Amino acid sequence: MAMEPILRLEEWFRSRGWAPFEFQKEVWQAYLNGESGLIHSATGTGKTLGAWLGPLAEWMRENPDENSGDHAKKRADAPGLRVLWITPLRALAADTELSLKLPLEALGIYWTVEIRTGDTSQSLRKRQAEQLPTALITTPESLILMLMRKDSDELLRDLRCIVVDEWHELLSTKRGVQTELALARVRRIKPGVKTWGVSATLGNLEGATESLLGAGVRGTTVLGHMAKEIVIDSVLPKNITRFPWSGHFGTSMIPAVVEAIDGSGTCLIFTNTRSQTEIWHQQILARRPEWRDQVGIHHGSLDRETRDKVENDIKTGKLRAVVCTSSLDLGVDFSPVDRVLQVGSPKGVARLLQRAGRSGHRPGVPSRVTCVPTHAFELVDIASAREAALDGRIERRENLSKPLDVLSQHLVSIAVGPGFRPQELLEEVRTTVAYQDLTDEEWEWVLDFVVRGGETLRAYPAFRRVVMGVDGVYRVEDRDIAQRHRLTVGTIMSDMAMSVQLVHGARLGTVEESFLSRLSPGDRFMFAGRIVEFVQIRDMTAWVRKATNRSGVVPRWAGGRVPLTTELSHAIRQELEHVKYGDLRSPEMHSLEPILVLQAKWSAIPAEDELLIERVETSEGHHLFFYPFEGRLVHEGLAALFAYRISQRQRITFSIACNDYGLELLAPKQAWLEDAIEDGLFSDQNLASDIVESLNASEMAKRQFREVARIAGLVFQGYPWMTKSAKQVQATSGLFFDVFARYDPKNMLLQQAEREVLERQLEQSRMGVALRRLQQAKLLITEPPKPTPMAFPILVDRLRGTITSEHINDRIEKMSLRLEKEADLT
Amino acid sequence: MFALGEKALLWPERSTLFVADVHLGKDSAMIASSIPVPLGATTESLCRLSRLIEQTGVSSLVLLGDLWHAKAGRSDQVYGEFVVWTRMHAGVKMTLVEGNHDIKAGPLTAETRIEEVSEPFRMSPFVLCHVPQVSDDGYVLAGHIHPGVVLEGFGRQSIKLPCFWFGNRMCVLPAFGEFTGCARVAPVEGDRVLVVANGQVLPVQTVVAEP
Repeated sequence: MAMEPILRLEEWFRSRGWAPFEFQKEVWQAYLNGESGLIHSATGTGKTLGAWLGPLAEWMRENPDENSGDHAKKRADAPGLRVLWITPLRALAADTELSLKLPLEALGIYWTVEIRTGDTSQSLRKRQAEQLPTALITTPESLILMLMRKDSDELLRDLRCIVVDEWHELLSTKRGVQTELALARVRRIKPGVKTWGVSATLGNLEGATESLLGAGVRGTTVLGHMAKEIVIDSVLPKNITRFPWSGHFGTSMIPAVVEAIDGSGTCLIFTNTRSQTEIWHQQILARRPEWRDQVGIHHGSLDRETRDKVENDIKTGKLRAVVCTSSLDLGVDFSPVDRVLQVGSPKGVARLLQRAGRSGHRPGVPSRVTCVPTHAFELVDIASAREAALDGRIERRENLSKPLDVLSQHLVSIAVGPGFRPQELLEEVRTTVAYQDLTDEEWEWVLDFVVRGGETLRAYPAFRRVVMGVDGVYRVEDRDIAQRHRLTVGTIMSDMAMSVQLVHGARLGTVEESFLSRLSPGDRFMFAGRIVEFVQIRDMTAWVRKATNRSGVVPRWAGGRVPLTTELSHAIRQELEHVKYGDLRSPEMHSLEPILVLQAKWSAIPAEDELLIERVETSEGHHLFFYPFEGRLVHEGLAALFAYRISQRQRITFSIACNDYGLELLAPKQAWLEDAIEDGLFSDQNLASDIVESLNASEMAKRQFREVARIAGLVFQGYPWMTKSAKQVQATSGLFFDVFARYDPKNMLLQQAEREVLERQLEQSRMGVALRRLQQAKLLITEPPKPTPMAFPILVDRLRGTITSEHINDRIEKMSLRLEKEADLT
Repeated sequence: MFALGEKALLWPERSTLFVADVHLGKDSAMIASSIPVPLGATTESLCRLSRLIEQTGVSSLVLLGDLWHAKAGRSDQVYGEFVVWTRMHAGVKMTLVEGNHDIKAGPLTAETRIEEVSEPFRMSPFVLCHVPQVSDDGYVLAGHIHPGVVLEGFGRQSIKLPCFWFGNRMCVLPAFGEFTGCARVAPVEGDRVLVVANGQVLPVQTVVAEP
């Protein structure tokens, strides 16, 4: 008589000297009852086994006699595909494979577990084409590619369960929406399939569960093992008055960090940008050259092999420290990590907790994260993040609502695969949370767009992307279109990236094309832990050589700026309120005191119900600094709005910049601030139309269109092997934007770009709330003698937008072109 | 020689107009690859050329390369429109200095009566080219790079505009076509730059950067 499956699982735990957590048993039971749901808990607390052993128990229940553990069987004898394991990062796949294989032999289950991602070898692909493994670990993109096969129905015949790992990472992104669509597809092909998500703790779990399972479906939410004790502290600058007021590098903290590395076991050093990672890696090695082989570097732009090696070296304890970005936030279980350092602002509460959770996996040891400020005011971020974390104020992740670019990509994907009948596909798409409110009109537009190219191309027979067959099924018939589409599917996640390769040498990784396009031959930058010199761009590759001269290094390349979350912004306003009334409640704020005193003396520190505005004149022009403390995204919108509203009263051109604390309007002449305030600068009247105007004026929609155009398949990435004729149909998204705006202004992709800026980038509702708060706020307008400690970080920001009400000829008259001295040719 | 806000050079003595990089059929080439862009750029470029020919009353037009973007863009409809356009201007002698895109796209049909020549092509005192280069035979007029410059001003302002770039030994014209962008170039001391904004040619102030 075979043993009850769950008892066998427990026995397996005991045989390894472990005991299952209660939550794991809860998930297994729920799974066996046929339920779907979401497991949420801290990283590295047994979520993987929680989700994986349910399907194994189900197998044992269905095959009670198959427990002989006959592992001599061939691959082809293993059962067909039963479990799909979706992971957001290819980097996690290898680690997941090991974890999933672990219990199989002992439980006598002859399943095969394999990976299918963009990195999978040709030979394995070929075997998988003949027969899929019993459990397949894959990314959302590779899943879509699988659904693009003509025989996708047949492939999923035995499927029982889909697990989506790290669901919180996908949620509220377009890749998450892509995943929702894929899940809806799988469920229609194979009704009754169970879906389990694995997620870090979020502020809105019900919403996260519903997005995973489909609109209106309620699942089981299981709270996993909660994090042990968490310690959040920081390295305080020795001399705050000499500590910089701005910048991203804060390299004066390097000695303290080196000391921290020296005094602990394996150490993860998280930074906020890839370029910061490179700089810290260089600086640590500059101080301790003997650590060359013991300090690794890890970020999303590096080549696969480099990353794999680093991950492996952490696990085996070979490395003393790794400087990394969010590329190491997820999954991979690094038990040997003793200490986590966070360089720069933590930017969010959940993010800080997640990073803290990477350390102290040994029982009885608390998770500890030590924050390292890179400029003075980041001490406020740190103190505020800790308060919010201790209060349990964790961010929500909101779902995106019906992005039409992702939908049009999905339609073409299905058409490349088995094809679709519109009514059936519409019903399927509407089962997702993202598209549950999709209107008939929007659906028709997308269908028309992929079939006929949209309204303007209706009379143009040459356009045949998706074609309706005599059987009423829509398919892609052209092989080139199908091939190009397969390449487009993977592009949701990546900005236009270009390979970086050493002349006569190894490929180092990829960098955003926007960075490379600003370089001139001979410019130096840091990459993959070395300083390289830019040679040229050829065949979609940036060729570099090792730099011999170290001076004049371009300090940074793009690599994303993380905006502060709403929760953290609120916490910061409260923290400053405490400061204003003399309550320096944390070591960080004590350390910052001299700077705060200076800020108060030159200008003021705003209380929660006050809005501080600073008016300063420098050699650069007239500056206005506003401090709403609403986070970068909202400030971007407010800056454009304020600049637009002021420019309606006087002919003026503003250069605008912002950070998480406030925003700056800079103009060659004084802006009429008081008049503008009196006239409703903060009013929420005409808000919607003023926002749209300011958004056009600042070209924000045009920038957002980059992503939309890529996903909808207008712009596609170049490949080294791409032929010249393929390159001839490439254009920048900016050009597409202009052509659409001119010849097809009602195009819904344009409207979507605008909507995305409004809803996501500008967070219109947040802007409305912010404006109402500012209307009520007591205004503190000060005129400091020079830029204050709070103004300084915004002032030095080079990433600026423009809003103008001046005629272009007048502007050109006041501007000039910088000429280089003629090169000495002798 | 006059630089016009329509992104063309006018040589009144010889009643000749020079334009570069029209890139006809870029929109239709995309559509042929099933990339859904609205049509209109090609027609608009031809209309602008027509207006320019009529306004200046020139008897000859020199196209400094990349008249056509790609072979795939020469659909019957679009190419037909182009042939009609050439017939409409039958009195104007048209010369195309072949650019890289023209060579890929293949020769034009005889009915267009456009003379195709390869670079460098002498038209004393000028040497006509597509790709910017220097020549011992005269001052070079070229296109190819779609030049643009970034102007900077007080209050950290900056703006990027297409331009004519006159050097010692050559001039590079801005791209004429609708569906073309511009690439930043780095003029040196002694060069003259005229930017194009709002359909006007404007001189720019320059400062020489200290090395």
